[in-house]
Parts: sequence; C-alpha cells; structure tokens
Amino acid sequence: MSLDRRSRIEALIDHRENPRHKGVLPDADVVMPGGSPECGGSVLIYLKGGENGEIAGLSFTGEGDTISMGTTSILMDLVFEEGLTMGDILALDYDEFVERVGRDVIGSRTRNATMGLSTLKSAVRKYQNERLGAGA
Amino acid sequence: MEQEIQQKGYAHPEALVTTQWVAEHLDDTENVRIVESDEDVLLYEVGHIPNAVKIDWVEDLNDPLIRDYLDPEHFARLMSEKGIGPDTKVVFYGDKNNWWATYALWVFQLFGHTNAVIMDGGRKKWEEEGREMTQEVPSFPSKDYPVPTRDDSQIRAFKTDVEKHLEKVGRGGALIDVRSPGEYSGELLHMPDYPQEGALRGGHIPGAANVPWARAVRDDGTFKSADELREIYQGEAGLGQGDDVIAYCRIGERSSHTWFVLKYLLGYDQVRNYDGSWTEWGNAVRAPIER
Repeated sequence: MSLDRRSRIEALIDHRENPRHKGVLPDADVVMPGGSPECGGSVLIYLKGGENGEIAGLSFTGEGDTISMGTTSILMDLVFEEGLTMGDILALDYDEFVERVGRDVIGSRTRNATMGLSTLKSAVRKYQNERLGAGA
Repeated sequence: MEQEIQQKGYAHPEALVTTQWVAEHLDDTENVRIVESDEDVLLYEVGHIPNAVKIDWVEDLNDPLIRDYLDPEHFARLMSEKGIGPDTKVVFYGDKNNWWATYALWVFQLFGHTNAVIMDGGRKKWEEEGREMTQEVPSFPSKDYPVPTRDDSQIRAFKTDVEKHLEKVGRGGALIDVRSPGEYSGELLHMPDYPQEGALRGGHIPGAANVPWARAVRDDGTFKSADELREIYQGEAGLGQGDDVIAYCRIGERSSHTWFVLKYLLGYDQVRNYDGSWTEWGNAVRAPIER
C-alpha cells in the first residue's frame, strides 16, 4: 500500500526525531564519514562485518536536515529488517531507494537523501578492501 | 522603528523586523507576506509561523536546467501564486541563522522587489520564545505581479567581475571568503575519505579575507550589533569603510548572508555576491588560487 505524501513526510520527520540505530558502535571495523557539515549534513557510518558478508553491527551518528538524517535512519531499518548482506547493500539502487522514501518529498534533494546510502556503500567497500588486503 | 533593532546601530535598521513585529502582523495578509525559506526543506511541514508561505531556494528560485536563477516571467508567476504583489512587504525568516532567508531576499532584490526584510533571529528565536507554530498551509488569492526586469549588475558578481576585481583588492576593493577556515585553507579537500564537494582544487581566491558567515550572529540567532560587526569585518578582516566588496562561498548561499550584513547592517553601498563561488572558481582552468 503506497503512502500519501503527508505520510511520507511524517515518516521522515519521525525518523529524524526518533532515529533508529543512532549512536557509536564501539567495536566497529570501519567508521566512514560522508556528507558535508556545511551543506545538508554529515554522517559517520559504523560498520561491523560478520560471517559470509553478513552485517554484524551497524549504526550512525551525524547532524543534518530532515531528509539526510531521516533517510539514513530509514536505511538502518531497511538493512536490519530485511537482513541485507554487504553484497545486497552494494547492489541497492539509489533511484529505488529514493522511490521507497518518496520522490515527491525528496524533490531535487537526492544528494541529501542518498548521503547515508552512499556512505554505507563506501563503508562496505572499505571493509571488503581491508579484508581482501589482509588476506592477500 | 523598533527599539530592539534601532539600538544595534545599523546603517539600515529598516531591513530587519523583530519576532514581536511579526507576531503583531500575522493577520495583515493584505499588506504583509511572511515567507519561510530553509536549508532543511521539510521544516515548514514540521511547523511554521501562522500564515507563512514557503519558498524553496532550489525548486522555486533556481532555473531547473541552467545554473542561474529563475527568469522574470517565472518570478512574476511565483509572486502571484504566493499572493505577493509588487508593493507587498515580504518578511523572510528561516533556519540556520536566516542563511536561506537572506539568500531568498537577495534573489528577490535581483528582480527589484526591495520591500523585503528579515525577521531578526529567524526560526530559532521564534521557536525559543514559544510563539505559535502551525502545520496549516495558508492559501491567499493570487495577485497581479507585472513581469519585472532582472538586474544582475548591482548585487551579483560573475567570474569575469571577480577577475577584474582582483586588481582592486587592497586598493579600495575587497574579497570576503565566508566559508569555514578548513575550506578557505584548502584543507577540507584533502581530508581522507571525504567527498570532494564539487571542486577540483582547494584554497581561496587570492587576496580574500576569511570571515565565516555565521560570525555575524549571536547565539540566539539575532545579528550582532553594528559595533561588533565592524570589529569583525573592519578590525579583523581589514575591510575599509566604502570598499567595493565581493563575497563568495561554495555556491553563493552563505555569502548572501554576509552580503546582507555588509549592505544593510554596515551600510556598504557596493557589495556583490559571487554565486558561482568556489564550485566555479575551484574548477576553472587557470584560475589563480591561494592556500
């Protein structure tokens, strides 16, 4: 069932005001910065890898506007609720993510809306590169 | 004139109104239009000042294709839709110390809509005073707004203007870089794992002084007094009274705030905002850069 525009706005505001999985992950394997404090917002993604490319831990900290913080919180929920692996995260399509959140609400702020996702993908790539490097 | 504004000693105190003034004019919708303009584009939906309309700097004020502002026909249509006539007093307010409110006011001035002011303290002060907020979106009858002429020559600088201006820096002319010290020094582009933010080179335009834009405001979001501002811009940054000034940042939004401060609060007659800013200069072939 598709939500109407008002509901999509309220969902983003709720995630902004009650962020899911927000906070420092002390034993993270990777801490990845993204965004810009002066424009839209900035985020730190904390990622801990598990067996077979699974996600053992994931959280974020940051400050920013409703779109950048709300979508990052929604992304955290998505990863945990659907049990996404690192491969699934790298395969996530930016356009599909914007559609899921609500393109009519995001408008031209796609950069803010995908700040969390692009940073999470960078975190996954860094994790994989470091693991591959360690195994070489 | 409101005493709270008057006592801060500005050159043009009429460019500001207080939150109290706005509270007393909420229902004067025939003559006054309150406009919220934010960086956080969903804040208006969270709640706004009663009878305020929203203007989005991206969707409403920028051309969707060319890197430029809307054309006069679209500006007239936007004004009409918001119930703004040529004589309507427009009161801007917003988040981030009125950063986007001053940007919207600057764009309005390109079209000659000079009956425009800023609510001192912005959204933050209104909220902290516990004043009324609503989610109700007002609807006003459309007004006739003749298609204006856009004049970029007085308050907007292009790259060629800045190139010519370089010879004047220190000789009756000045450049103010209002970005953070890290952006000014070029350090931010060198941070590991950090996005490049749309510029190939870091640093600043030669001769520019660095005064981060938010230094012009107090903790409560209101502008500092004229004496305090003079100490910063003239005492620290070395601006001469009467200098011809160009301000810039990354895309011209933060520098619109400094433009407002210099032009209206300190009374500089010649101040232009270089909206191409670092995303143009930092990418331009052979543009000189200092670090």
